[in-house]
Amino acid sequence: MSDASPSLVRKYSGGAGAGPRSGPLILRPDVLIFLITLAALTIGATFLAEAGLISTAFVKTLGKTLCLCLAALAMDLVWGYTGILSLGHFAFFGIGGYAIGMWLMWDRTEGIVLDTLSRGPLPPTALEIEEQIGTQIFGVVGSSEVPWLWAFAGSLPIQLAFAVLVPGLIALIFGWLAFRSRVAGVYLSILTQAGTLALSLWLFQNDSGLRGNNGLSGLQNIPGLTDVPQSTLSLWFLWASAAALALAYLAAAWMVSGRFGSVLRGIRDDEARVRFLGYEVEHYKLAIFTVTAMACGIAGALYYPQAGIVNPAEIAPIASIYLAVWVAIGGRGRLYGAVIGAAVVSLASSWFTGGGAPDIELGFYTIQWTDWWLVLLGLSFVLVTLFAPKGLGGLVDLYTDRRAAKRNADLGPDAGALRKEEDA
Amino acid sequence: MTLIRLIAALCLLALPVTAQEGAVQTVLQTHAADIAEPSRRTIQPVLDDLAASGLPAMPAFLEAWADRGVVQRDADGLFFFGERDGDVYILRSIEDGSDAGTVGRRDADQLRPNAGVRRLIATALVQFQLNDPDPDRRRAALDALTRNPTPDLLAPLRASIEGEEDRAIRQRKEALDRLITIRFGEDRTTRLAAIFWMADQVSLEARAALNAVLTTDTFVGQPPEDANVARSLQVGTDITPDQALALLAAEGILPEDVTRADRDAALVAAIDGDSVAGVPVSSLNTEDARWAAYATLAENGAARPRPPVNAVEILLAANPIVEIYDEPDAAITAAAAEALTQVEARVARAQAADLGLDALSLASIYFLAAIGLAITFGVMGVINMAHGEFIMIGAYTGYVVQLFVPDYTLSLIIALPLAFCTAAAAGVALERLVIRHLAHRPLETLLATFGISVALQQIFKNIFGTQAVPLTSPDWLAGAWTLNDVVGISYIRIAIFILALLFLALLVYILRRTRLGLEVRAVTQNPGMAASLGIDPDRVGMATFALGSGIAGVAGVAIGLFAQVTSEMGASYIVQSFMTVVVGGVGSVFGTLAGAGLIGGLQKGIEWLNPSNTLAAQTYMILFIILFIQFRPRGIVAQKGRFAQ
Repeated sequence: MSDASPSLVRKYSGGAGAGPRSGPLILRPDVLIFLITLAALTIGATFLAEAGLISTAFVKTLGKTLCLCLAALAMDLVWGYTGILSLGHFAFFGIGGYAIGMWLMWDRTEGIVLDTLSRGPLPPTALEIEEQIGTQIFGVVGSSEVPWLWAFAGSLPIQLAFAVLVPGLIALIFGWLAFRSRVAGVYLSILTQAGTLALSLWLFQNDSGLRGNNGLSGLQNIPGLTDVPQSTLSLWFLWASAAALALAYLAAAWMVSGRFGSVLRGIRDDEARVRFLGYEVEHYKLAIFTVTAMACGIAGALYYPQAGIVNPAEIAPIASIYLAVWVAIGGRGRLYGAVIGAAVVSLASSWFTGGGAPDIELGFYTIQWTDWWLVLLGLSFVLVTLFAPKGLGGLVDLYTDRRAAKRNADLGPDAGALRKEEDA
Repeated sequence: MTLIRLIAALCLLALPVTAQEGAVQTVLQTHAADIAEPSRRTIQPVLDDLAASGLPAMPAFLEAWADRGVVQRDADGLFFFGERDGDVYILRSIEDGSDAGTVGRRDADQLRPNAGVRRLIATALVQFQLNDPDPDRRRAALDALTRNPTPDLLAPLRASIEGEEDRAIRQRKEALDRLITIRFGEDRTTRLAAIFWMADQVSLEARAALNAVLTTDTFVGQPPEDANVARSLQVGTDITPDQALALLAAEGILPEDVTRADRDAALVAAIDGDSVAGVPVSSLNTEDARWAAYATLAENGAARPRPPVNAVEILLAANPIVEIYDEPDAAITAAAAEALTQVEARVARAQAADLGLDALSLASIYFLAAIGLAITFGVMGVINMAHGEFIMIGAYTGYVVQLFVPDYTLSLIIALPLAFCTAAAAGVALERLVIRHLAHRPLETLLATFGISVALQQIFKNIFGTQAVPLTSPDWLAGAWTLNDVVGISYIRIAIFILALLFLALLVYILRRTRLGLEVRAVTQNPGMAASLGIDPDRVGMATFALGSGIAGVAGVAIGLFAQVTSEMGASYIVQSFMTVVVGGVGSVFGTLAGAGLIGGLQKGIEWLNPSNTLAAQTYMILFIILFIQFRPRGIVAQKGRFAQ
C-alpha cells in the first residue's frame, strides 16, 4: 500500500525519540527537556505548597494529572506507535486502583477493628477479626463474608504486585485471543470497548465482591501514616507520581528508539508487510499491549490513593475513549505529545467543569462552561482530528526541521493517514 | 336542664313519624332481635332470609354490618348506618345512605357481630356479589374468592354458576369452583375429578391450588401409622447437616449447640483475675484455645457441655426426618403431584415460548438500532460512534412532535417519517463535514465521530435537560397480547417487531432490486472498480449514510415509546449495536439480522438462567461474544470484498 522506507519511517516517527540510538538516551533533547520540566514542576509545586501558596487539593490535582499522563504515555505506545486503538486501557488503570484500594481499605479497617476488639475482655482471634472486617467493608452491599478476591488484601506487597500483574495477565489473555485470530483495526477497538463494558458491568454488581457501585472509598488515608497530614502526603504522592512518570518516559523512549520501536512503527504503518518480512507481528503487539496495560495499572495504583475513591463508573468505556482523545489532542506517535495532551485536557477539564472559567454572555443566552465544556471538547477534538492530526505536539515541529520532510508514508496509525494522494 | 330534656323527649316522640320505613328496614325489623344480638347458631336462617329478599340495598347493609358500621336506635329499634363522631353517631338511612340526622352516643347501640358471625355475613355477601348485575362487581368478588378461598363459599359459588350469563365470567366461576373443590371438596371423587381437570391448565392459580394440596410439614421421629408421608429426608442430599441439626434441636431431641457467642459469654463470665479455667486470658487469641478453655469450664461444671460431635448421626438413626402431607388422603396427594408435574411441564413450555417472544422483540430492537450502522460500515468502512445519537435525535423528534400534535396516533404518524428525515439530515451533515475528510482513516473516523457524539449528547442535555422526557404511545398500543397467564407480549413490542420486518423488507428490496442497491453492493465489494465503472462512491456513500442514519432515527422513536428518552439513550444502545454488527458480519443485512437474533436470544437466555442479575447477564454475553469472535472473526455472514483479507 505505501512504500515507507525505513528512513522515512524514522523521520516521521515523531520527535527526537526516533531512529536508532545515538548517544545516551538521557541526553536526547526531548528526554532531557521533559525530565527537566517535570523536575522543575515538581520542585516548584513542592516549594509553593510548603509556602502555602497552593492548596493541598491543587497538589493532589497535579499528582493525579501526572498519573493520567503516565496512562496517556502507555496509550501512545499502544496506539500512536503500534496502531492498536485500544479502548480499554483505562480499565487497566482502574484495576490498578482497585488492587491498591483493597489493601488500603483492608488495612485501615483492620486497624479500626483491632482497636475495638482489643477493648473487649478476651484477646481477639483471627476469625473474629476477619468477621468484623467483613462486616465493616461489605456491610454496604448487605454482606459480611469476605469474598475470595480479598484473600491477600492484608498484604501490601501482594496487592502491589496485583496492581501490575492483574492488568498484565488480563491484557495477555485478551491480547492473545484477539491478535491470534487477527482481530485488528476497528474490530479490535470495539472488542476492547466491549471487554471494558463487561468489566464495569461486572463491578457494578453488588455480589462481585468489590462493593458494587459504592466502589472502594477512604483511600486517601494511608494505614500506618495516619499521623502524617494530607498536605504532606499529597506532596509524597506528587513526587512518587513524578518519579513513576519520569521512569516510564525513559523506559518508553528506550523502547521506541531501538529495533523494537522500529518494528512497532512498521506494524502501525503496514502490518502485512512487516509480517511478510518475517517478524512475528502478534508477539510484538502482545508485548506492547501487555506492557502498557501494566503501566496503566501502576498509574492507577498511584492515582486512586490521591483521588480517595475508586468505583466502577471510572472504568466505564467512555474513560478509555477519553484516554485516546488526550493522546490524539496531544499528538500521537510522540511521547511528549501524549503527556502534553493528558495534562492540558485534564487540567482544562477540571478548570471548565469546576466553575473556574468565566461564563460568556451572548445577550440572548449565557454560556455556562459547566454545561458547554463537553461540547467544546467534543468539537475541538473533531477539529484537531480533521485539521491538525499531529495535535498539540505538532507545534513543536514548527521549531524544528521535522516538518520539512516530504512524506510519502502514512502520517497516522491508519493506513493512508493525511496523504493527499491515495494510491489504494 | 329541664328544657333540654323536654326538647329531647319531643324529638324522640317525633322520630318514628319522620323515619320512612323502606323495604330493607322492613325485612330487618322482622329479625330485629337476631340482628341486634347475633349469635353464630341462630344467624344463618336470618341471613338466608335477608339474601332471599334480593333487595339491591342489602349488600351495602351486610358490608356495613360486618364492619360494625350499623347502629340501632334505642328509641324505636330502627337500624341506620352510623358513624361515631365524638359523642354522637351520624346516621344515614339504611335504604339509600341519605342523611338521617344524629343521635347521642348513649341513645343508640352499635352492632358488633363476633368473628364467627362476620364470617357468615361475608359468605352471604359474596353470594350477593356473585349474582350482582354489575359484571365488574362479579369479577371483583371472584378476585376476592381466588385470593382467599374458603370452603363455605363453595355452595354460593356453585349456585351462582347456573344463572351466569357472561360467558367469560362463567368460565372463571367454573374454574374457581374446581380450584376450591380440589382443596375443600366433599368427597374423594369430586376432588379427584377437579384435580384431573386441573392437569390440563396453564394458569398460575392451577399451580397454586395443586401446591396448596401438596403442602407438607416436616416431622422428626417415627411418623404415626396413618400419616400420609411425602418422603423421608436424607441428610446430605435433601437437607444439609446444619438444617438437620437445627430441626433436632428445635424438637428438643438434640441439646442446643454452643455458639461462639455463648462460648465467649461463658468465658468472659468466668474470668478470674488474669485467667479463665486455669488458662491466662492473653492466650485465648485463637479459636482452638477458646474452645479448649470452654471444655475445661464445662468439665468443672461451670458451663453447659457441647453436644458430642457424632450426636447427630446417632440421633438421626433413631429419629428419621420425614415430610408429611397436611392432606391425609394419599390418593388425592398422588393425583395432585402427578397433575402438578403435568401443569409445570406445560408452564415451562409456555415460559420458553414467552422467553422466545421476549428474545424476538429484543432482537428486533437491536436489529433496528444496528442495521444503519451495519450498512454504513459495509459501504464506507467507517465506524460511526455517533450512531447512538441519531437514535436519540429520532426519539427527541418524536417528543417535539408530541408537544405540537396532542393526538398521539397522529403525532406518531408524523414523527416516524420526520424522525427519519431529521436523523438522515444529521447523518448527511456528519458525512459531508467530517467523515468524507477522513476517508480511509477508520480509526480517526471512530474517534472524530466519538467527539461528535459527546458534543451532541451534551447539546441535547443542555436543550432538553437531564430529566427523561416522555414519549407517549397511543392508547391502541398500550395493552398487551396475552395468550395465557404465562405467555404475553405488549403491543408496542409487536409493533416494533413489525417495524423491524418492514425495514428488513425495504432494505432487501433496495439492495437487491434498485439501481442504488446495485451501486451500494458494487462499492461495498470494490470501491475502486466501482468508481472506474462510472459509479460515484461519494454519492453512494452519502445515500447509504442518509439511509442508515434515518433508520436509526426511526428506531429512536420506537425505542422511546417503551424506554426513557434521555440524552444518553443512544449511548446505552451503541455497544450492543456494535456487537450486533461485529457478530453478524459487516455490511450484510441478513448478517445483522442473525447477529441481532443471536445477541437478543443470548441476552434473554442468560437472564433466564440468572434472573436476579441483568448486569451479570450482559457481562457474560459480552464475554461470549469475545470468544465467538475467536471462531468467526468476520461474523456469522462473512463479507467478501473490501475488508476481506
